Amino acid sequence: MSSFVFMKVLESAPRRYDRGMNLLFLGRMEQLHEAIAAEVAAPGRRILDLGCGTGGVALASARRGATVTGIDTNPQMLEIARAKPLPPGAPPVEWLELGATEIEDAFPPESFHAVTASLVLSELGPLEQAYALRTARSRLRPGGVLVIADEIVPAASLRRLAWWAGRLPLVCLTYLLTQTTTRALEDPGGLVRAAGFAEIHERRFGRGTVVLLTARRGEAGP
Amino acid sequence: MSLPATVSALRDTVLRMFPHRAVPGLIPVGTPGPDSPVLLTCSFTLTLRRLQRVLAGRNVWLLAADTHGINVWCAAGGGYLTHHEVIAAIRSTGIEELVDHRELILPQLAATGVEPRRVRQATGWESRWGPARLEDLPAYLDRGRRTTRRDRRMRFPLWERLEMASMWAVWTALGGGALFALLGGWRTGVGVVISVLLTVGAVFAALPRLVVTGHRRWLTYGAFAILGTGIGAAVMLLLGAPTPRNLALQAVASVLAMAVLSIDLAGTTPWYPSTINTFRNFAHIDLEPERCTFAGDCVQVCPAEVLRLDGPTRKVVIARPDACLQCGACIVQCPSDALRFRYPDGRIIPPAAIRSTRMNMLGRRTVTVEGHDPAVTPGSSDTPA
Repeated sequence: MSSFVFMKVLESAPRRYDRGMNLLFLGRMEQLHEAIAAEVAAPGRRILDLGCGTGGVALASARRGATVTGIDTNPQMLEIARAKPLPPGAPPVEWLELGATEIEDAFPPESFHAVTASLVLSELGPLEQAYALRTARSRLRPGGVLVIADEIVPAASLRRLAWWAGRLPLVCLTYLLTQTTTRALEDPGGLVRAAGFAEIHERRFGRGTVVLLTARRGEAGP
Repeated sequence: MSLPATVSALRDTVLRMFPHRAVPGLIPVGTPGPDSPVLLTCSFTLTLRRLQRVLAGRNVWLLAADTHGINVWCAAGGGYLTHHEVIAAIRSTGIEELVDHRELILPQLAATGVEPRRVRQATGWESRWGPARLEDLPAYLDRGRRTTRRDRRMRFPLWERLEMASMWAVWTALGGGALFALLGGWRTGVGVVISVLLTVGAVFAALPRLVVTGHRRWLTYGAFAILGTGIGAAVMLLLGAPTPRNLALQAVASVLAMAVLSIDLAGTTPWYPSTINTFRNFAHIDLEPERCTFAGDCVQVCPAEVLRLDGPTRKVVIARPDACLQCGACIVQCPSDALRFRYPDGRIIPPAAIRSTRMNMLGRRTVTVEGHDPAVTPGSSDTPA
């Protein structure tokens, strides 16, 4: 009973993912990956990239010398990520087929200096968001950094309307060409605070529709 | 049903080709307690509404995995319902604190995507296959959570065929009606709406007796296009506008309606592999008897009774190869990797590749001939022990 629309969508998604995302973000995808990597990546640092997809953020961090593990539930995305080249001297990225709620199965507490999550949180339901952030925090070393990049919906109703109106044509075009789209977060700061993070800073990226959030696991407490 | 509920049900039915996402999580039905059964399902609104209706009066926990608003079968086939989503649902909902058992009832149609072994490894939960159709859940629960042969075989009753017909017919009728009203006036539009609704409905009502695969399917579509033209002409006659131009427009509309339906009529049924998914790419199920351990998982999950356990040889037999839907559930579930897909040209897709790409594979795959195949990445090598 496979409805053809779904199947066509699903079948072509991983292959066209990069192209679709670049279109949706008006060619600024790479800049976003670099901006995230610039927050956390340096030689000798261990980074976990949640929902790494085709590897944009993980590879940007590795190019800056960090030791990166990229996890994603989609083996086809990982296959594409694995095939992307790294410059000589950059530490190889470890790619694992794991979900955001399976971090505890693969890594002991306090394994990482940083956790990055680009356009991932908005894909999860509310319970999974909370669970993934709590576990991510426990896998960070004391003082470790979390970086989240996600689309954000403006809070004021008029601006929200304008946001939808501006976004709709782009979403339709992207969806037609690549069957890919993204969702948006309403209150990333609140989510992160509820998971026990501190020193939360948000700044806007691009035309103001993407939030780049950094937060820290405090020095004390589990 | 209240008016808003009726409107939502109608919307979900005619828009069922698109995902519609309910908030995933734990949904109690009745007043479930620590020993109540836990049923895994998807986050497709239509499925959740039906489950709640069918299970009314019982006490069960519904664990709605986040399948992005896609139904169980399509999500499992497309990689949106795998062990990852099941593990996420178990962990993020806190179900472990609410029940004192660790048994999950999985819909049989999730077998294309979910590997119970991996769920067990990560969470300690044991899985048990439920029936293929949610209507059979009450009887299944009453008989002690055992499926019967009838539970496992996909049925497609008339009411459901007409529901699926509406998914095609409503949009084709409305779009075609508007277009042809512009071309020939409101009477032409009315004729098109009526003929499309009736012919598409008739196709689905007559479906088990129609040829909808192979070259002869064009005869079927041709016959129904003629029927549609006849209905359109009758409406034109009743409305007093049987001009040659109007009759010609009715014929064109009927041919177009059948052309739309031919995109994937087969895939709208649980009887045939989707023509879109398998486009010029028909694979056959293939058994390596020496690897078969008579475990029977494949027979348990096949929705088309393709496989049978053969007592004397203690092996599985591919009893009805032509009934295979190419869903891959048997391959994904076989504990000894004895099943796989084989193309007519001899290429083989090994089980590891099917587990990592599932039904997506039946279209454009990254898989080449076994033996010299750099593209295939065995899914298991990615997972830490």
